[in-house]
Amino acid sequence: MSIRHGLLTLLSSGPRYGYQLRVEFEATTGATWPLNIGQVYTTLARLERDGLVAPGGADEQGRAIYTITEAGREEVGRWFSTPVAQTDRPRDELAIKIAMAVASGVDVADVIQTQRVATMRALQELTRAKRAAGDGLAQRLVLDSLIFKAEAEQRWLDHCEAVSKEKSR
Amino acid sequence: MTVVELRDVTREHGRVHALKGVSLEVAAGELVAVMGPSGSGKSTLLNLAGGLDRPTSGSVTIEGVDLAGVKDLAALRRTRVGYVFQDLNLIPSLTAAENVMLPRELDGSRSRQARAQALAVLAEVGAEEVADRFPEELSGGQRQRVAIARALVGERRLLLADEPTGALDTATGDEILQLLRARCDDGAAVLLVTHEPRYAAWADRVVYLRDGLIAEASAVRLESAR
Repeated sequence: MSIRHGLLTLLSSGPRYGYQLRVEFEATTGATWPLNIGQVYTTLARLERDGLVAPGGADEQGRAIYTITEAGREEVGRWFSTPVAQTDRPRDELAIKIAMAVASGVDVADVIQTQRVATMRALQELTRAKRAAGDGLAQRLVLDSLIFKAEAEQRWLDHCEAVSKEKSR
Repeated sequence: MTVVELRDVTREHGRVHALKGVSLEVAAGELVAVMGPSGSGKSTLLNLAGGLDRPTSGSVTIEGVDLAGVKDLAALRRTRVGYVFQDLNLIPSLTAAENVMLPRELDGSRSRQARAQALAVLAEVGAEEVADRFPEELSGGQRQRVAIARALVGERRLLLADEPTGALDTATGDEILQLLRARCDDGAAVLLVTHEPRYAAWADRVVYLRDGLIAEASAVRLESAR
């Protein structure tokens, strides 16, 4: 529900129109998760249905303005005070692939090395994006999140290599 | 321009083959990271690249000079190669500036000139304000900055870093990599040994060593960031 709460948070600092919300969401999160304008309007429609935002008329150029409601502010407060659950992660294709390689006698070391090179390339690209982001703190922290995740995968691959080497001795 | 080149380098310690035939070039402006499990030959590679050790076979060339023909490796190291290690970096009884001056003084520079050079390079790495403090008065990040300044003082363009972020938290580690990267962008060649993927990711190229051989290298090469 991060788009829903993200937009709601942006609205809590003042009324905005759809396109503006899209631009601000992307700027804040470092354009890491591009939003299409359709998602923004669908989300706003649901927020309005749930009583968390209200239509606030139109600006001088005729753009529909949205305003956060009191219930919406409470929802933002609840979002920030609740931890994100770890449970609903999708199945991990890489873990399944390594397990299958072990079970079927495919050369695990090759699978690991191929993945390691690809993950390192992704890490290099993220690091480059971080350097380019300069002083933007919000963007930098989002990129750091992706860097830590890629690094965890890389470490797990090293671990897989060491353990499978040990076992094959 | 190639600053350091290893060609078919092997190194045997007794009956142990630490490196089994490695070729690697690092150009000016390039940051190359070396990764690999412990015992894969990372530190041996770094020592050979910096003239701290000689290969059993193969050649090492620093700025066009084949080390096989160099009798006084120490003199060559002082003028051309800088080292940064995880620890044992700074001499505790000397101030930051005196630590940075040391290689220049060993090389015969006058004290005043050495100090001027030291202050200039400390400013470049953002550590000018700690010039007259002793190592124990510095934070881990500041100490490592001073160590990098010492590695760069003079005209040295080859910087070898062995786990330079070892004892630092991740934010400070990032600052150190930012600094190494900036030195590269100014024309230094940096060879970095690290076991941490997040720091290797600052490199233009990442080389994986496994059992004394390069397992994978060029595949990770990206176009230059500059």
